[in-house]
Amino acid sequence: MKIISHSYLNRFGAFVNGDLILSGQEDNFLKQYFVQLEIDYPKFYKMDSLSKSAFLGDFLLKNTLQNMVNIDEKLQLIFANSTSSQQTDLKFIESYTFKKNPSPSLFVYTLPNILAGEIAIKHKWYGENIFFILTKFDSKFFIDQIEMSFLRGNEYCMCGWIEMNGLEEEECFMFVVSKTVHWVENQEASNELNQILNNYRNNGIKRTIKSSNN
Amino acid sequence: MELKEQLKAQIIEQLNLEDLTTADIKNDAPLFGDEGLGLDSIDALEFIVLLDSEYSIKIDDPSLAREIFYSIDSMADFIESNK
Repeated sequence: MKIISHSYLNRFGAFVNGDLILSGQEDNFLKQYFVQLEIDYPKFYKMDSLSKSAFLGDFLLKNTLQNMVNIDEKLQLIFANSTSSQQTDLKFIESYTFKKNPSPSLFVYTLPNILAGEIAIKHKWYGENIFFILTKFDSKFFIDQIEMSFLRGNEYCMCGWIEMNGLEEEECFMFVVSKTVHWVENQEASNELNQILNNYRNNGIKRTIKSSNN
Repeated sequence: MELKEQLKAQIIEQLNLEDLTTADIKNDAPLFGDEGLGLDSIDALEFIVLLDSEYSIKIDDPSLAREIFYSIDSMADFIESNK
């Protein structure tokens, strides 16, 4: 397997393959990126922050996706986070507890795997998808899942660690793994994943802050 | 507040369209489908609840919903004529 592309976004910036694409300047950074990327997709405004960030993370990978074949049926979506859809869950509880009006449009986002559905609908992908709740990002877990996916016949995996919980640690890390190009052993791929995410979390943020100051 | 502006504010609140302002919603633009706001059948359900709770108007004939909910203009016309 080979990690062929990755994107990362948080309140400080949006990155593709390690390069800063957009600097975050507003509290509402997801809308800011959506506007700056000039994406025409009205449904974005209806999504919860989990789906919005995954939608943007996917959009940032568009150049990679354009060059992939058999993607509509041979790509699996594998996502995870540690807080599930907690933010929307709390809003939904508020809608029926205090406002006495349970909101159907909130209810549909009270499952984290809805974000996979939003991506699949956008691209008209028909492959497998799954969402895990983990205590923290676990590169080995992802690599094991990807290996099993490839053994089942899939050719690509789009994966993501997407944490949108209203706290400072919000981030959306997405990466695409190919089965066929330049085989890399599992341990090496796992180490590479950790290195990529750590670079985004540490150097990426510092670089963004530095460039904002200049 | 004018009815149409009030409707826009209520739609934003009801559908949790937190990133939108009333200025983003045009009076004559379609609310459903890929154009306009890109709303779907779940949102139509929210509109039915909104008309009932905010304006005490019930839609007796569901087949009229598509026409009533086409735009802010059509929703406002329906509310005005059913007050």
